Amino acid sequence: MIVTRSRMRSIGWAVILAVCGALTLALTFRVNAVKSQVRLAERQIVRAEQDKSLLETEFETRANQQQLTALNQVEFGYQAPTAQQYLENERQLAALSKPRSVDAPEPIMVATANDRPEKSALVAMVNPLTGSAMAAEVPAGGARRGTGSAGLGDRLSGNDRLSAPVAGKKVAVE
Amino acid sequence: MTAMAVSATISSGRVQLVNVRQRLLLIAKLRVLWVLAMFTVIAFAAIIRIAWLGIGQSAPSNRSMAEALLPPRGEIVDRNGTPLARAFPAYSLWFNPKALGGGAALVKTPQEVAAALVRIFPDENYEKLVARLSSDRPSYLRRRIMPEDANRIHAMGEPALEFPRENERYYPQGSMAAHVLGYVGADGVGRVGMEQVFNKQLTDAATRGQPAVLSLDTRVQGALEDELGRGMAESNAIGAAGIVLDVDTGEVLALASLPSFNPNLIDEAGAANIFNRVSNQVYELGSTFKPITVAAAIDAGVITDMAHRWPAGAPLKIDNFQIHDHENFGSSLNVPEALIHSSNVVTAQIGDKLGGVRLRQTMMSLGFNERPYIELPAKGFPLWPKGEWARITTMTVSFGHGIAVTPLHLASAYSALVNGGIWRPATLQKLGPGHIPEGRRVFTASTSARMRQLLRMIVVDGTGRKANAVGFRVGGKTGSAEKPGAHGYSRTSLVATFAAAFPMDHPRYVIIAMLDEPKGTVATSGQRTAAWNAAPVVGRLVPRIGPLLGIMPDDSRDVDISDLSPLVANGNGE
Repeated sequence: MIVTRSRMRSIGWAVILAVCGALTLALTFRVNAVKSQVRLAERQIVRAEQDKSLLETEFETRANQQQLTALNQVEFGYQAPTAQQYLENERQLAALSKPRSVDAPEPIMVATANDRPEKSALVAMVNPLTGSAMAAEVPAGGARRGTGSAGLGDRLSGNDRLSAPVAGKKVAVE
Repeated sequence: MTAMAVSATISSGRVQLVNVRQRLLLIAKLRVLWVLAMFTVIAFAAIIRIAWLGIGQSAPSNRSMAEALLPPRGEIVDRNGTPLARAFPAYSLWFNPKALGGGAALVKTPQEVAAALVRIFPDENYEKLVARLSSDRPSYLRRRIMPEDANRIHAMGEPALEFPRENERYYPQGSMAAHVLGYVGADGVGRVGMEQVFNKQLTDAATRGQPAVLSLDTRVQGALEDELGRGMAESNAIGAAGIVLDVDTGEVLALASLPSFNPNLIDEAGAANIFNRVSNQVYELGSTFKPITVAAAIDAGVITDMAHRWPAGAPLKIDNFQIHDHENFGSSLNVPEALIHSSNVVTAQIGDKLGGVRLRQTMMSLGFNERPYIELPAKGFPLWPKGEWARITTMTVSFGHGIAVTPLHLASAYSALVNGGIWRPATLQKLGPGHIPEGRRVFTASTSARMRQLLRMIVVDGTGRKANAVGFRVGGKTGSAEKPGAHGYSRTSLVATFAAAFPMDHPRYVIIAMLDEPKGTVATSGQRTAAWNAAPVVGRLVPRIGPLLGIMPDDSRDVDISDLSPLVANGNGE
């Protein structure tokens, strides 16, 4: 059988067409397979979210404020901490174990309505699990953190003041 | 010849055979063709069907993940994101008499099934259950059952007892903050509290995906309800109300009205307690008004000298009325002493000197002549003296009688008293930094500073001593007002209120604790007044909520009262 050149070409085109068709079909199948995988995953996510919400609701119910109060009254008897259990700044920490001198005045600071919380090198009470501050109201600049590498001497002499670049130049921030 | 004949016979037979074979082949080919045609038609029909399904028919309903996760009714959360109300797929118990396909509805007798159900739910009525299980009408036997109960019913092996999962509104904190939240009726519409206010937002598909954020703090609310409940039990009161309000924004951090109800189960006993004492009931709040009168007088220049002494020894006679103190504190008192001892006589004189017009104006700026500003639907209208105030009206209003407002009014007024003089509406929605209302100025900043000193002195030296939580710099004023009855004021039933703010060197929160008709008990040393029942509630509450709200106790810090303390003679007057 004599195969002419033009016939060869048309056979070639047909083969290419067939290969392309087969590839398209394979790709379609693949796409649909991935799509159904995604749908399955979505369904699993929905189920997991619903389970999570159910468990969360159950937890919230079992650990609601009234239950916790009742449990505390019966089992633990924890009480709100008193002023003696708090140290606000380094000055209080330094004065913690120092006996007051005989003629010292009452250690009362009056009329100190400072709007901005003082910068402190003491680390805030931070939840070890979430890393967020335990108190509901966190200072505007986020939870207090230790100043890191600054040594005690630096801190006491005030050399570790935070400096932040503002508009191109360094401005000391209190 | 024979051979020829035979050969002819054979050949004719062969020809015949060939013909038969050809025919058979033809038939076979035709049959193959038929089968092929049939398969072609079937294949074609299948392709047409597939194309039809693909083009003409709607796609199978594939809910997207976002749709599937969208709750049927939006969540309500507190300011820290703790869920207070959420949609919850709960089991209900449904009786379907057709489950067995005709005939008897139950496998066992209705009596046996009812007895088994009563064993699981002891509060069910046996006779009623028997009647419902005997009828052929499908009905709910119980609206909400626990999963373990569902398992036990499943173990009974009755196909007619079904437990479909239904989306219900669920309040994980039980009766806590019930008056703020409200509940959702069987028709799916919110009632009473924020469920009613936010109903549209919570049901709209576009907005219900995002939780509605309240200004409440669950922990503060829990502590407030706990301490109020304790105060109520100790003083044998019929009810109690309490608020914790942010003085700088007007956000309500806790709002409690006791006795409360359980929004998960609205029954007759609960329905009787839906009434909100904080925003709906008006009370004559008595002496807690005195600081407001004093602040108005300082603002107006009526009180210029804190050391000025006002006559106090004898009852004040105005027309036919007599204003008297519950105790004689000496022949004269100055303003700090009058507040510390809660003298009606001195406050009435200050009110008289201030005049009805100016006192009325101050009360109006504090919103005492209109319903309280809050989102809740239940808001009580104050009993407000109409028209021009007569002299005696001015004098009684100055110490909190003849005018009745809700505890919420008082909380907003005390915020203005201590926050520098700005009155802001109370809100139950969490406010972002840019959304805090500007408010209106009622008192000057200097008056507010003076009031902080005076309120602190009342707690240090006066009637509010039992509220003095160490290190929290609490300031406040007691108020014990006799309740008006059919025949004038009742001597036996009181409304005891303590209005407080803390920390007084930089006030952040106002607390109102109110007890309705407290009695003298052993726990309150036989006393019925606010100093013995409402003030201790605040004294116990503040240490519990202070650290949660970022206010650490510090006993080396206080508001400066050094200029006023010499004016008070040992807290006993002259």
